[in-house]
Amino acid sequence: MFFDEMLHFFGQMASQTGLAHFWWGNVLMIAVGVSMILLAIIKKYEPLLLVGIGFSCIISNVPGSDLTLPGGLFHYAYEGVQLLILPPLIFFGVGAMTDFGPMIANPKLVILGAAAHLGIFVALIGAKLLGFTIYEAGAIGIIGGADGPMAIFMTMKLAPHLLPQISVAAYSYMALMPLIQPPVMRLLTTKRERQIRMKQMRTVSRVERVAFPIVIGIVVNLLLPPVAPLITMLMLGNLFKEVLVTERLAKAAANEVMNVVIVILTIAIGSTMGADKFLTGSTIEIIGLGLLAFVFGTGSGVIGAKIMNLFLEEKINPLLGSAGIASVPIAARVAHVVALQDDPENFLIYHAMGPNLAGVFGTALSGGIMLALLQ
Amino acid sequence: MEKDTVTFAIMLSVIDFFLSMLLISGIGVILWLLPFLNKLGKLDEESMRRGH
Repeated sequence: MFFDEMLHFFGQMASQTGLAHFWWGNVLMIAVGVSMILLAIIKKYEPLLLVGIGFSCIISNVPGSDLTLPGGLFHYAYEGVQLLILPPLIFFGVGAMTDFGPMIANPKLVILGAAAHLGIFVALIGAKLLGFTIYEAGAIGIIGGADGPMAIFMTMKLAPHLLPQISVAAYSYMALMPLIQPPVMRLLTTKRERQIRMKQMRTVSRVERVAFPIVIGIVVNLLLPPVAPLITMLMLGNLFKEVLVTERLAKAAANEVMNVVIVILTIAIGSTMGADKFLTGSTIEIIGLGLLAFVFGTGSGVIGAKIMNLFLEEKINPLLGSAGIASVPIAARVAHVVALQDDPENFLIYHAMGPNLAGVFGTALSGGIMLALLQ
Repeated sequence: MEKDTVTFAIMLSVIDFFLSMLLISGIGVILWLLPFLNKLGKLDEESMRRGH
């Protein structure tokens, strides 16, 4: 009698804890979260992002935790993403730490920022062929823009339920770009092409640096309102940096604001990685399409640079084309490293930053046009 | 036109790709024009740095 009552009591207590709702999917996703943290610690892959996402993913897969439910802190972090507040704030910080000089100094290379985005459309069409809706396909396609905040922004506008898969795919492939891009770049170029040296760039004056964010802010708001919040904040951050009289604000945007936003953003992304939502067939398809997008984006950028060389008197190094895929400054660094392997004195980094920064605009333009055509 | 089709996805991609090229070329033209601003005068970086 006593034992029966005790058993009943403990049974009832257990049913009120998360233990009763634990299933293998939770175990798998906790393992995914732990792997993310280990990748950040051991391989140094995007530690600022993966530690927060990994931890939040682990906690979100512990049944019983109400952090992700309305009233929970993780839920409110997600609200920041859902209300599209966090991605523009990331761009604000990025703008405050970015030198747009290489892009201003060599305007002809900005075209590579659009050429390297064929991957977006390959993934979009691929997703549609796999049965995703056109809105989901659009959000999946933008993974090929290799721009985390833009991918999140577009996903929240087009297919919010795919946020965990798309953000994880985008950030994972950005971290893996040094492995994904070089084989494609070598396949599409000859050693002679990779050894082309670029001419020294001109110096960009302070007047140009100050005028740039103001002019671009006006143009983007005029022509592409759907993505204006992102580019506007990018330009505001950059204006704080370039006017030299708001050094405190520029530093705050690049450090304090950026750090706080990264913490909230990573918590928000990880909190959406519940096993019931993440462990689906579409996750594998999205991960595959993301890889396809990165490969085609890199390839189309290199081919775009080679097409430009048909018309240019002074040839450009086609490796610069691969940097047009955005993901600042990872893609520029990859172009630089691949060039160094064939000529140890060919320093491409500064030149590659031009198309790399143009890639941010290229992704924003593609996203803005897509939103305008779809909505 | 029905939006949720492969045909529309292809059309969207083609239009988006070429329109992006066109718009980014426009940004290229703006960048090409920026140096002309230098004819208006120049900013004294030292005094700007002392400005706060």
